[in-house]
Amino acid sequence: MKLNTDMQVVKINDYLWEIPPSEKPGMLVPARIYASAAILGAMDRGVFDQVTNVACLPGIHRYALCMPDGHWGYGFPIGGVAAFNPEDGVISPGGVGYDINCGMRLIRTDLSLSEVQPKLELLMTELFRRVPAGVGSRGFVNLSRRDFRDVMRQGAGWCIAKGYGWEEDLERIEERGCLDGADPTHVTDYAVERGINQLGTLGSGNHYLEIQVLSDKGIYDRATAAAMGLTGRDQVVVMVHCGSRGFGHQVASDYLKVFEKAMRRYGISVKDQQLACAPFRSPEGQDYFGAMNCAANTAFANRQVITHQIREAFETVFGESARRLGMQLIYDVAHNIAKVERYRDGEWLVHRKGATRAFGPGSPELPACYRGIGQPVICGGSMETGSYLLVGTDRAMQETFGSTMHGSGRTMSRAQAKRTVRGEQLMRDMKQHGILVKAVSMSGLAEEAGLAYKNISDVVGTVDHAGITKKVAELKPIGNIKG
Amino acid sequence: MPGSFRFLDDIALADMAFDAEGESLPALFEAATHALIESLADPVTITETWRHTVDMEEADIETLLFEWLGRLVYLKDAQGVVFHRATLSLTQNTALTAWHLHAELTGAPVDPATQDLRSDVKGVTKHLYAVTQEGTSWKARVVLDV
Repeated sequence: MKLNTDMQVVKINDYLWEIPPSEKPGMLVPARIYASAAILGAMDRGVFDQVTNVACLPGIHRYALCMPDGHWGYGFPIGGVAAFNPEDGVISPGGVGYDINCGMRLIRTDLSLSEVQPKLELLMTELFRRVPAGVGSRGFVNLSRRDFRDVMRQGAGWCIAKGYGWEEDLERIEERGCLDGADPTHVTDYAVERGINQLGTLGSGNHYLEIQVLSDKGIYDRATAAAMGLTGRDQVVVMVHCGSRGFGHQVASDYLKVFEKAMRRYGISVKDQQLACAPFRSPEGQDYFGAMNCAANTAFANRQVITHQIREAFETVFGESARRLGMQLIYDVAHNIAKVERYRDGEWLVHRKGATRAFGPGSPELPACYRGIGQPVICGGSMETGSYLLVGTDRAMQETFGSTMHGSGRTMSRAQAKRTVRGEQLMRDMKQHGILVKAVSMSGLAEEAGLAYKNISDVVGTVDHAGITKKVAELKPIGNIKG
Repeated sequence: MPGSFRFLDDIALADMAFDAEGESLPALFEAATHALIESLADPVTITETWRHTVDMEEADIETLLFEWLGRLVYLKDAQGVVFHRATLSLTQNTALTAWHLHAELTGAPVDPATQDLRSDVKGVTKHLYAVTQEGTSWKARVVLDV
């Protein structure tokens, strides 16, 4: 099999491959890639180079991992997972990503396609009006600096206290929507000024708000789906993909500069400047962790405010309360984060960069309603193809630090996608296929065309066969809002 | 002579990258600035109702360009604006230990109804970032995170 690397890649099984430490000077552990043979063969050279760079970082534990949606990223590959000893290992912004706590949220409804279809245009217009998207968009929540510090510390809980959501939402958010250790004193004024007006906004790029339908044949595991309030019968759900916006990016950029200097002080060298890191227990490492948690909590709050706006939009269009419409949160999960997590073999600082937590059944971190089935994992596909809902497994706890894929992964550059398809034409084509699109930017829409992405079903098939997550349901888009 | 820029494929699959070039450092800065402005919105559709002046100083030209482009991204979010034009002047201090950039920016608050908005650039990255001189020509490669 021809791969985009000269390194030796050893087959462990049909869905798992390993690059031994002998393949690159400085590797402390093997690198492991979850992929079918076809997906592995299509992976770009960056994946192999970068996952083996990660394997060289001080304090790394067991493996540097990459998920099947992996592709080149800054520092870590997208799809990268690595755990470090919190006592003598490092923390790296390149292992979290610029969009700190970029993540997915899924909201159920009791509505069916036949009820929504006649009002879809109206609903999309109402959502587009209430959830700002695109360049420089500003949210409706006016925050003072003191308010914003509270958001950084309290995350989604701040929103619930202010009436932007339901108390029971919190138990269905990773870490109840609030990471401990958020310290606004380690956030720069630049970051605050970029983020203070952005609460409740989608952003642009690959972020979206999508109305989706779950058909009967889209359910793979009926009992597990039912435990999440999903019964099929063309049931309508709403998916949100966004993160900490400019605020999180500024935190990451600020600390990459800090870490470049810190590495000299601590005698750390890395294979790639974008892997800049510092010992987790160092002052610099703890300062970044405090600031990163602020950005993560702000992202949880961002998705919570957007949820509030979605519920209000549905109430306006359908003339019923969101509770009567059954608009419970199914789950909210991060895919760009670093957290200290407890496993059977100890406590590790787990970096997930374009990878989703996927805790298995019985995990004490899960709410009672999901402890029997495992954590819901929400994987967004391209806006033309659909998305998947999965659950975490015990195997993920054993093999991947409770982690799995996050999306389909790009295969085409933004520039090439824009040359291949025009936004206006794409919008017309999607409408013909039953998907209504509202977009701020036509060029931005073209960049996100389905042809620019891997087939998500192939990627999901890999993690399902590998056993690190199990398929529950496939969700098909009928309405998409993009920046 | 004005500088030029071109967007690049296959440098950063999920993001945007451009090469900028100029026969002088001011021309290079203007070309790179124009590339970033064009990434955010079509400047032809942006009026000049917002004006802002920036003065920045850095020890070297590579850091100055990086920080300047980052400042534009910051202003986009913090002030909620997109840009029409940037008029730049570059000077080096007499001891040759620092470069100073004076920039006069014009633009307008974001308005999707009247502006051709493009990508919400989140930041400038260090990936492949370089400013180089080849003969009398200056070049920069910039990867933007979107």
